[in-house]
Amino acid sequence: MADEALFLLLHNEVVSGVYKSAEQGEVENGRCITKLENMGFRVGQGLIERFTKDTARFKDELDIMKFICKDFWTTVFKKQIDNLRTNHQGIYVLQDNKFRLLTQMSAGKQYLEHASKYLAFTCGLIRGGLSNLGIKSIVTAEVSSMPACKFQVMIQKL
Amino acid sequence: MTVHNLYLFDRNGVCLHYSEWHRKKQAGIPKEEEYKLMYGMLFSIRSFVSKMSPLDMKDGFLAFQTSRYKLHYYETPTGIKVVMNTDLGVGPIRDVLHHIYSALYVELVVKNPLCPLGQTVQSELFRSRLDTYVRSLPFFSARAG
Repeated sequence: MADEALFLLLHNEVVSGVYKSAEQGEVENGRCITKLENMGFRVGQGLIERFTKDTARFKDELDIMKFICKDFWTTVFKKQIDNLRTNHQGIYVLQDNKFRLLTQMSAGKQYLEHASKYLAFTCGLIRGGLSNLGIKSIVTAEVSSMPACKFQVMIQKL
Repeated sequence: MTVHNLYLFDRNGVCLHYSEWHRKKQAGIPKEEEYKLMYGMLFSIRSFVSKMSPLDMKDGFLAFQTSRYKLHYYETPTGIKVVMNTDLGVGPIRDVLHHIYSALYVELVVKNPLCPLGQTVQSELFRSRLDTYVRSLPFFSARAG
């Protein structure tokens, strides 16, 4: 993968570009977050196609989640997910204690209200990756103290 | 051996950051005036040094010293100026100032989308990391020399 700074700076510009061109009321009703998430979705679909072209088929859902936590995260963010928890009923929580897109922002509470904008794209990334592996899901993110954050994946059983 | 204070300017003369550690005497003028004075002086010295240099200039203005303190100067190609006042026992610290620029300013301010360039730095992370770094320097001692 190319130098990290390239993706980081581009991602920051994408977020500020989406917010600058937002029309009246779009910021409040979350349209901007949705746009970013959809961008991440499409990128995630493409990325997962590329990363798994040589791997074997996955045994089950848990195996897919482990792949996302280890290989997928390492290729995109150069580190693994620090903690994966599940209730074995379709809910997974991925915890990253030093999320790459947030480390430069703050180390604690400053800028906390803006953090969700910078997590939307990554939520979409996870959702897109899972969708191309055959799993429909909803992904949300929460952050209480930067740069640690949690991504919650809810699998939708069809 | 100690560090007195540190200024960070951008290419337009905006003071991006100022911290002080040991400063016994203030300038007697408001802070805004002080920053303008410092920037104006640096600008003048730089052009003076390049005009009056008897040989081909390599690095340009590096530092000046008085009988009580030494002012160190480092400028990047993008016009960011790092200015540090230390006491007299300190030798050339270009690499320290370069580290402040590359590992602190670039990493924590340029790459932070919530820090607009050209304005005073608000990021707490930058402030605290800079403070930790300066305090860890070998020529910084907690008691003023």
